[in-house]
Amino acid sequence: MATPMPSGVPRQPPPQTDNPNFQQKQESLPDDLQKWNPNKPSPFPGSAPTLPPLVRPPPSSSTSAPSQPNSRPGAPPPLVVPGPNVPPNVGSVRPFGPPNGPPSPFRSPSGPPSPFGPPSGPPSPFGTRPPPGSLPSSMGGGPVISPRGSGAPGPGGRPGAFGSSSRNGPPVGVPPPMMVTGRSPGPAPSMGPFVGSPQASPKPGPPTQSAPPFSAPLAAPFGTQTWAPGQVAPPTAAPNAAVQPPRMFGMPPPQPNQPLPAIDQTGASLEDARKINSNQIPRPTTSYSKIQYDTRQGNQANIPPPASCDYIVKDTGNCSPRYMRCTIHQVPCTADLLTNCGMELALMVQPLAPLHPSEEPIPVVDFGEGGPIRCSRCKGYINPFMRFTDHGRQFICNFCGCVGSTPHEYQCNLGPDGRRRDADERPELCRGTVEFVATKDYMMRDPMPAVYFFLIDVSMNAIRTGATAAACAAISQVIADLPEGPRTMLGIATFDSTVHFYNLKRVLHQPLMLIVPDVHDVYIPLETDVVVQLSECRKHIEQLLESIPTMFQDNSTAESAFVAAIKAAFLAIKSSGGKLLVFQSVLPSVGMIALSARDAEGRGNISAGEKEPHKPLQPADKALKTMAIEFAECQVCVDVFTTTQTYVDIASISVIPGTTGGQVYYYYPFSSISDPVKLYNDLRWNITRPQGFEAVMRVRCSQGIDVKEYHGNFCKRIPTDVDLPGIDSDKAIVVTLKHDDKLQDGSECAFQCALLYTTVYGQRRIRVSTLSLPCTRNITNLFRATDLDAQFVCSLKQVANEIPFTPLLQIREQVTNICINKLLAYRKFCTTATTSGQFILPEALKLLPLYTLALTKSTGLQTDVKIDDRSFWINYVSHISTPSAVCLVLPQMIAVHNLDFDKQEENGSAIPPVLPLSSEFVSEEGIYLLENGVNGLIYIGSLVDSNIVRQLFGFSTVEETPTQFALQQYDNPLSKKLNDVVNEIRHQRCSYLRWTLCRKGDASGALFFSYLIEDATPKDGPSYSEFLAHLHRSIQAKMS
Amino acid sequence: MSEMANTDPEGIDAVRMTWNVWPRTKVEASKCVIPLAATIAPIRPHPDIPTLPYAPLRCRTCSAALNAFARVDFVAKIWICPFCYQRNHFPPHYAMISETNLPCELYPQYTTVQYTLQPDPNNPSSAPQLPPVFVFVLDACMIEEELEFVKSAMKQAIGLLPENALVGVVSFGTQAHVHELGFSDMSKVYVFRGNKEITKEQVLEQLGLGAAGRRPTAGYPKGLQNGFTNTGVNRFLLPASDCEFTLNSLLDELQTDQWPVQAGHRASRCTGVALSVAAGLLGACLPGTGARIVALVGGPCTEGPGTIVSKDLSEPVRSHKDLDKDAAPYFKKAVKFYDSLAKQLVSQGHVLDLFASALDQVGVAEMKVAVERTGGLVVLAESFGHSVFKDSFKRVFKDGEQTLGLCFNGTLEINCSKDIKIQGVIGPCTSLEKKGPNVADTVIGEGNTTAWKMCGLDKSTCFTVLFDVSSTDKSNAPGVANPQLYLQFLTSYQDPEGKTMLRVTTVTRQWVDSAVSSEELIQGFDQETAAVVMARITSLKMEMEEGFDATRWLDRNLIRLCSKFGNYRKDDPSSFTLNPCFSLFPQFMFNLRRSQFVQVFNNSPDETAYFRMLLNRENITNAAVMIQPSLISYSFNSLPQPALLDVASISADRILLLDSYFSIVIFHGMTIAQWRNMGYQNQPEHQAFAQLLQAPQDDAQMIIRERFPVPRLVVCDQHGSQARFLLAKLNPSATYNNANEMAAGSDVIFTDDVSLQVFFEHLQRLAVQS
Repeated sequence: MATPMPSGVPRQPPPQTDNPNFQQKQESLPDDLQKWNPNKPSPFPGSAPTLPPLVRPPPSSSTSAPSQPNSRPGAPPPLVVPGPNVPPNVGSVRPFGPPNGPPSPFRSPSGPPSPFGPPSGPPSPFGTRPPPGSLPSSMGGGPVISPRGSGAPGPGGRPGAFGSSSRNGPPVGVPPPMMVTGRSPGPAPSMGPFVGSPQASPKPGPPTQSAPPFSAPLAAPFGTQTWAPGQVAPPTAAPNAAVQPPRMFGMPPPQPNQPLPAIDQTGASLEDARKINSNQIPRPTTSYSKIQYDTRQGNQANIPPPASCDYIVKDTGNCSPRYMRCTIHQVPCTADLLTNCGMELALMVQPLAPLHPSEEPIPVVDFGEGGPIRCSRCKGYINPFMRFTDHGRQFICNFCGCVGSTPHEYQCNLGPDGRRRDADERPELCRGTVEFVATKDYMMRDPMPAVYFFLIDVSMNAIRTGATAAACAAISQVIADLPEGPRTMLGIATFDSTVHFYNLKRVLHQPLMLIVPDVHDVYIPLETDVVVQLSECRKHIEQLLESIPTMFQDNSTAESAFVAAIKAAFLAIKSSGGKLLVFQSVLPSVGMIALSARDAEGRGNISAGEKEPHKPLQPADKALKTMAIEFAECQVCVDVFTTTQTYVDIASISVIPGTTGGQVYYYYPFSSISDPVKLYNDLRWNITRPQGFEAVMRVRCSQGIDVKEYHGNFCKRIPTDVDLPGIDSDKAIVVTLKHDDKLQDGSECAFQCALLYTTVYGQRRIRVSTLSLPCTRNITNLFRATDLDAQFVCSLKQVANEIPFTPLLQIREQVTNICINKLLAYRKFCTTATTSGQFILPEALKLLPLYTLALTKSTGLQTDVKIDDRSFWINYVSHISTPSAVCLVLPQMIAVHNLDFDKQEENGSAIPPVLPLSSEFVSEEGIYLLENGVNGLIYIGSLVDSNIVRQLFGFSTVEETPTQFALQQYDNPLSKKLNDVVNEIRHQRCSYLRWTLCRKGDASGALFFSYLIEDATPKDGPSYSEFLAHLHRSIQAKMS
Repeated sequence: MSEMANTDPEGIDAVRMTWNVWPRTKVEASKCVIPLAATIAPIRPHPDIPTLPYAPLRCRTCSAALNAFARVDFVAKIWICPFCYQRNHFPPHYAMISETNLPCELYPQYTTVQYTLQPDPNNPSSAPQLPPVFVFVLDACMIEEELEFVKSAMKQAIGLLPENALVGVVSFGTQAHVHELGFSDMSKVYVFRGNKEITKEQVLEQLGLGAAGRRPTAGYPKGLQNGFTNTGVNRFLLPASDCEFTLNSLLDELQTDQWPVQAGHRASRCTGVALSVAAGLLGACLPGTGARIVALVGGPCTEGPGTIVSKDLSEPVRSHKDLDKDAAPYFKKAVKFYDSLAKQLVSQGHVLDLFASALDQVGVAEMKVAVERTGGLVVLAESFGHSVFKDSFKRVFKDGEQTLGLCFNGTLEINCSKDIKIQGVIGPCTSLEKKGPNVADTVIGEGNTTAWKMCGLDKSTCFTVLFDVSSTDKSNAPGVANPQLYLQFLTSYQDPEGKTMLRVTTVTRQWVDSAVSSEELIQGFDQETAAVVMARITSLKMEMEEGFDATRWLDRNLIRLCSKFGNYRKDDPSSFTLNPCFSLFPQFMFNLRRSQFVQVFNNSPDETAYFRMLLNRENITNAAVMIQPSLISYSFNSLPQPALLDVASISADRILLLDSYFSIVIFHGMTIAQWRNMGYQNQPEHQAFAQLLQAPQDDAQMIIRERFPVPRLVVCDQHGSQARFLLAKLNPSATYNNANEMAAGSDVIFTDDVSLQVFFEHLQRLAVQS
C-alpha cells in the first residue's frame, strides 16, 4: 500500500463549475422554471411556445423524413433544429389545433417528443450539436434555446398547459411524447401532437377543453395562473402534467423524432436497419449543467430530472427524487389502465440517499415527548398533504382518509387557502422529507452503539496473495474514520479452518488470541473483551492489525471456515448488533455450511440448455438464509469483501449480506498491486457514508394503492415492514405497487416512506419522505410521465432476481418483450392514427431500446460469464440505486488521449463528452476510459503515440503495460488531467473503481469491447440498429 | 510409616492376607466369614529385592514367571511350573544352571525379584526414556486469592519438573482453553465450549492434531526428538526446560474466568469438557507414554458434560441423602461421563490426578471413577492456600527421599494355583478383561480378569485381591493335592525415569482342611488385614448395592465370626472368650461401624469418595489407622504412650496426639492449655513443659512428612471448638447419660452412640445364641 490512497470514494462537494454558461443558466433558469408549466396544455395560443421545442423535431423530421425515409426523422440534430424550427412548428401547431385537433394529436405524437427532448438535450452524439453545455440550458429555456425560446417558449411557452388540462377532468394535457417516424404523418402531425392536446383520446371533450385552456380555462383551474395567451407566463403553479419538462432533463437528445429508425413496415429488414445512420439513433447525452429542480410547483408534482444527471433539488412539498422516485409520475386510476400501458408501477426508494452539496439538509423535527403527529388509523406521519379542517382542530389523513384531531399544542389557525398559517415554518408541513426525533415509543431498547467487527481471512491463499495484508492495512487506516467517542466498539477476528478471536482489552502487554476450533458449531470464546471500546484499546488494535500478516505468514491451512467464522463473529456482537465486515479470499470449504466448487461441476459445456446451468447461481444451502435472518433479527449487518483468485460461490455467500442490508465487494482476480487501494477506499466509504443501524422501513400509500412487494437487501419478517440491520446512502429498495381500488381522477395519490433508524451517533430517528402524485385516467399521460430510469431499474432488479431460476435466453427474450410491450402499448393506445410502418418511440422512453439492449448484454445476461461474476452482478444490482444502475448497464466511455484542457473548463466539468458505446468510436490511435461505477477500463489503442502512454502510465510502449496497475499521477499535464477526470468520476460514482488496462488482442481487450453494447456480438446479440429493427418488426407483427 | 509399621509385617513381598492358611473347599471358605483376600503393594521398594537385567522365563502354558518355588531338574535342565505343573526347558543361556549356580530368581529368599526389561525395538511405545507428560488443568473460576495460590503452586511445580518432562496447560471456566505454548508471536489459546460433549477425535481434529494434521512430513520427523512422531503435539506440549518462561508468563496473565456470573448463581465451570480436552490432547501422544492430567479444581462442574449441580445457588450440591433418595438429578449422568472418560484414559494409559480445593463439594464423588481407574492421585482440601493442598502438591513433583515414586503404565497379572479363583481387585486399577481359568464367576471390584491396568501407581499403592476357592471335597482327595498353594503377582510398569520394569512376587501358603481342625486356620488369621478388607468390601458394597445396610451386614458377619471362632457355652454370654488372634477384630468392627466409611451421613459424598479412594489404595497399616485411629498420650509422668481410643483418655494434664490418617489432632488438656497460654514454656525454668509441648508437634510432623496426601493438622485445646476432631473418634464411654460417674478433668461426649462396652455386651449375647 505504498501508493498514497486517493480519497476517491467519499463524496465530496463536486467542484463548482465556474462555467459561465452554467452560471447563466442558474440565473435564468429559476425564472424560467417558475414560469414554466410543463403540463400546461398547449391551450393557449401561447401554447405555441411550448410547442417550439416540440416543433423543432417535427420540422426536422418533416424535412428529413420525406426525403430519407430510412433515416430517422429525428436524425436531424434536434437541438440545432429547435431554434430555427420552432417558429414553423409553432405555426403549424396551432393550426392543428393542438387543442381541438384530436386527430392531429395522434399524428403529432412524433413531434411532441422533441419538446421534451430539447430541454434535456445535449445530444452529444451529433457532432453538429452545440456543445453539450448549452444543451442543458435548453431545458430551462436555456441560453441556447433562447433564441427560439425567447420567441415562443417564453414562460408561457412551457407546456405547462397540460397540467391544467389534467386537472380538468380528462387529462387533457399530456401530450404524448412520441415520435412518428412515419413520413406520412410528416412533420405536421408531430408538431401537433406534442402540443399536448395529444390526449390520444378521441374524446370530444378534450378538444373542447383544450381549447378553452388556452384562453381562460386554464387559469381557472389554477387560480394562480395568469398569463397572456400569447406569451404564457405560467405562474408558479405547475400543471400536474409536469411530464414534459422532466423530459427535458433527460439526457435524451432533442432529436425530434426519437429514434425513429423509420422503417417501412414492409421493408423492415435488417438491411434497412443497417442503413440506419448510427449517428441518428437515440443515445444518452451528458449534461454538464446543474439542473435546478423543485419537487412541486404550483401545488403540482413536478416531474424530476433523470436520475443520472446532475441536479439540485429544492424540496417544496414532495420529497426529492433521490429518496423516492416513482416509475410513472402520474398514477393510473385503475389497474386496467396500468396493465394496458405495459409499465410497472413502483417506487425506487433510497431513504438515505446522499444530498447534493448545494441542497438544503433535511430538517430535523423534534416533537418532544409526544412524538411525531400520526394518523390514528394508518399511522401515517404528518406531511404537507394532510389537510387541516375545522380551524385546524382536525386533520384528514392523505393515506387513509381518517379524520384525526390535532393535539391541542399543535393546533394552528388556517389561512384563507386552507393551509395552516404556520405551514411554511414547520418543515413537516412544507417539506417532502423530514426527520423526526424518535421517542421512547420507537425503541425496543436503547439505541445501539456503533459496533464494528472485522473478520479477516488468514488462510494460506489469503496470506500469499497479499489479501490479508491489504485488509489489515485498510482496516488500520480506516479506524481513524470511525465515529469518535465511547460508543464506538470494535472487534477483530481472523479465520482459516478455525476462528481466531482476540482479547483486546487486556491490561497486559499484548492481545490474547483465542481460537474457536469447533467450526461445526461455533461459539464465542469470551463474552466481553472481544468487542471493545475503540477509544480505550486503540493501541492493541493497531498492534494486532500490524502483526496479523506476519503472524500467519507461514500458515499452511488452505481451508476456510468462512460461514462458521461469520457465525462466530455474529455471536460476538449479537447482543448489541452492529456491522460485520468480512474479508474473504477462498471458498468456504470446512465447518458449518461448507460449500463446494460448484463452478467446476459440469464445466466444459455451459452451453445453453445444459441442465440447469443457472443452478450454481442459487444459494447452495438454505441454512444460509435461516442464518442470515437470525443475523438480521439481531441487527447485524454483514458486508463481505471478497478478495480472491478463484471461485468462492458468491451466490451462496451473498445471501447473508443480501438479507442483512449489507453488500458484497468483489475483487477478482485480486491483485496486490492495484486492489489494496480500492479495498481501502471501499472500506472507508462503507464506513463513512451516511448510514443507519437497526432500521425498519415501511411505505404507506393512499387508499386504492397498496404495496405489492419490496425488493432489495433487507430482511422481511412481517409483510408490511422491512428490517434493515444496516442501511446506507447507497442502498435502494424497489417497492412495487398494486391497485386495490380505483383512484379518482384528478385526485392525488401519496406515498410515504418512513425509515426508523439509529444514527452512528446513537440517535434514534425517523426519516419520513412523502411523495404525492396526481392520478390520471389518461394513458397518454402515463407515457408522458414515465420515468425511464426508474422503470429500467425496476425491471433490471426483477431480471436480476430471475436469473438464478430461469434460463438466460428466456430472460433475454423476456426483457426484450417487456420493451416491446411498452412500445406496443404506446403504439396501440397513443398513436393510433399513425400508419403502422412507423416506428414510434414515446419521448420519455426513447432510450428504452438502448437500455434494453444494454441490459441483455450486461454481465448478468451475457453468455460467457463466470458464475461468480454473474452472482456478484445479481447481488450488486439488488441494492443498487437508480443512478448507479443506469451507468452499470450503460457504461460511460470517454476519450482520454486528447484531453483538452480549455474545452473542459468551459463545460464546467472535468469529464469530456461521453462517446457512444460503439467500436466505431474507438480508434486504435486513442486511449479510452470506460467505467460503469464498478470497474474502470482504460483501453490503449495499438497505434497510440508512445509518448502519450509514457506520460499517462509511465510505460514506454503499449506492450509493456500490465493489466493490473495502480493509476498514478505523473508530472505532466496530461497525466494530471487524466487523474482529475478519474477523480471526478470517482466522486460522482462514490466508488473508487477497479482499474484495468486493456489492449487489443488479449483478454483485457476483449473485455473492453464486451462493454461496447452497441456492437453486434455473435453470442450476445445484435447491434443497436439491428435491435431497433427487431423491435420495430415485432411491434408490427403484433399490431397486425 | 508410623511406628507401628516398624515390624514390617509385609516383608519383602509386600503381601498380606486375611487368612494365611487357606481352607480347601468353598464351603469351608464361606464358613470362615472373612473372605480370602490378599493385599499387595506391587512396587513397594524394599532393600532386599534384587533387580535383574534380563527378562524372566515364562511358563509355556500359564506364562507364570520362573520363581523360587519351581522345581528344577538340573540335569535335564527343566523346571516345573508350580502353578500348572508344566515342564519347561531352560533356554540355552541358562545352560550354566546347577544346584550351586542358581539364577537369582531361584534363590528361596528372593520370592520377589525385579527385572529391567529391554525395550522392544518393534514396539515404539516401549521406547526407552519417554519423558513423562504433565497436562495441568486449571480451574479459573475462583476468587483472585485462590487463583493466586494455584498459580504459585503451579510455578513451584513447574520448577520441580524434570527438564525433559513435557508440559501442557488447559485452563477452564465457562469454556476450556488449551494453551498453545509453542506459539511465540502472541499468547494463543484454543477455546472449547463448555456445554458440549466432545470426543477424542473432535479434540484432535480441532486442535489440528487430527488425521490431517498428523500426516507425517516426509523425511522430516521433527517430533522424534521428544519421542513423538506427531509434530502437532509439540505445539501444546513442550519440555519444561523450554517453556518455563512461557508458562510463567502465562500464569501471570491468567485471569479468573471472564464470563459473567449471574447473581445467585454458581460460576459456570466446565470441568468435564476441560478434562475431555486434556485427555484428547494426550490422545495425540502415543499410548504407553507416561502422562498425567493434573486437575486443579476449585468448584463443582456446572456446565456441560460431567455437571454435578445446576448453576442456581439455591440448589445445593447433592448429599448422601439425595443420592439415597435418587434425588440427585445430575449424578448418574455425570458418573457415566466420567466413566467414559476413565475408559478413554485407560485405553491411552494416562492418569488423572485430582486436586480439589473448595469449601463446598466439587464432584469428587462423580470423578472418583476416573481417578481411581487410572490410578490417579486425589487430594481434597478446603483451599488452595491450605497446607493439605500446598504440601501435597509439592510432594507430587518433588524428587529425592520423599518422592512418591510416581510410575506409569502398570499392568498387574496374577497367576494362582488351580482351584483358586480371582473374584476381583479393589484398588486404583482397571480390569483388562483377560479371561482365564482362574477367573471366578462372582465379581467383586475390578473383576472378570487376571490382568489389570494401572495407568498410574506409586510405591505405596496397594491393591486388595479377593479370592474364592472352587474345589470341592470330592475333587480334592486329601493327600493327592499339593499342600501348598501359590500366588504370583507380575507387575510391569514404567518407572519415573522411563525405564520399563517387571516385578515378580511369588508367595506360597498352606492349604488346610478346616473341617478337621480350625486351630491352624485361627492361627493364620490377620486381624488388621481382615478389618481393612472388610472395610473395603463394605465401602464397595455401599456404593454398588442399593439399599445396602452396612452396619447390619458388618454386625452379622462379626457375630458369625464370633460364633464360629469364639469359645463359649451356648446361650451363656458370660462364658464367651475369643482367641487372641481375633481379639482386636471386634474393636476394629466397632470403630469401622462408626467410621466415615460407614457413617457416611456425617460427610458429603465428595468426602466419602475421597476417604474411600484412599482407603482402597493405602497399605494395611495406614488403612487400619483410618478405621481405628491411633492415640498417643503425652504427660509429665511418663514417656509418650499409646492411649485407649476412649474419651476416658482425656485428661487435663495430658496432651493427646490423634492420628486418624486424614487429620492429626494435637489435643491439649485444659491445664496444659492454660499453662501454655500463660507462656510457661518460654520460661527457662519450665523447659520440661516446653519439651512436653513440642514432643507431639514433632511426632505429628514426622507423620505428616511421610504421608500423602498431607493430613490436616489440628491443634486444639480441651473444650475448644476444634476439639470435636478428637471427640468424634473416641469411644463414647462417657456421655451425658453417665456423666456423673466420670472422673474430674475428663470429658464427656454428647452422643447417643453406643459405647464399645455396650457393643461388646450385645456381641457376646448374640454370638452365643443358638
